[in-house]
Amino acid sequence: MINIVLVSHADLGDALIRAAEMIAGQAEGLYSISLLPGESPESFGEKLEATLQGIESQETLVLIDLFGGTPYTAAARQTLKENVECVTGANLPMLLELVMARDDATLSELAMETARVGQESVKNLGPMLRK
Amino acid sequence: MRAIKELGLVRIDDRLIHGQVIAVWCKHRKFTRIVIVDDGVAADSFMVEVLGLAAPPDLRVDAFSVEDGVRALNEDTSNWDTTMVLMKTPLAAKQLYDGGLEYSALNVGGIGSGPGRRNIFKNIAASEEEIATLKYLMGKGVEITLFTVPGEKSKSFSALVSKL
Repeated sequence: MINIVLVSHADLGDALIRAAEMIAGQAEGLYSISLLPGESPESFGEKLEATLQGIESQETLVLIDLFGGTPYTAAARQTLKENVECVTGANLPMLLELVMARDDATLSELAMETARVGQESVKNLGPMLRK
Repeated sequence: MRAIKELGLVRIDDRLIHGQVIAVWCKHRKFTRIVIVDDGVAADSFMVEVLGLAAPPDLRVDAFSVEDGVRALNEDTSNWDTTMVLMKTPLAAKQLYDGGLEYSALNVGGIGSGPGRRNIFKNIAASEEEIATLKYLMGKGVEITLFTVPGEKSKSFSALVSKL
């Protein structure tokens, strides 16, 4: 099973996991690492490293909340590892896709699919509905 | 010799380039270049790429060691007013100043908590040594203000220092 590690500002990752489980049911292999207000990038990087070491040798998809933010800077280096992929822009459709598709896809397929789902999940409803 | 031109922003932020810098600072004011002065980052080409990727395409991002940073910044002052200098620590700010980059204003925008550090203003922390370093720069006439993003309530280090 491919593990999913959310890295986020504050408790966004925890909340996304709770929301995904509300829809898709309880899921295993989900982890969340929070950057707390006033926390140093080093401290956050150490928490991420400790979590990844705990699940080492398994394939892992790191879902990052904000491209360019501190969780991104801390996690980006993980993409150099063979069994890790990182995708930014974490939202609920992406996490749902991950939970439901991870058993039938390779890690790199899953990363591409997650990015696609994230991009397609954003809709401006006005022009679609006000006809 | 004090430079006639002023740098756009000289900032201590241990997160270097991140959301507040790109989304808030770079929309608030025109910047054309970010210069990261950090020995560790300068020696880590992958991290330079990661940080540069997060910046808009029209913003040039360079990373230098302290020594090279002083030289590179003093060499070409033409875009100083739209240049942001980022460092992780007060020590780097002191090294830059003592090395010959005599900036007149310093923004302390982010120093995360950690062993030996205590909060000095909002989420900004510093160790005793770092406080002493900021005092040293204040003594040199550098105007030091603590705030993370423009528009937010700022605190002058000189007003804060008696309570530290």
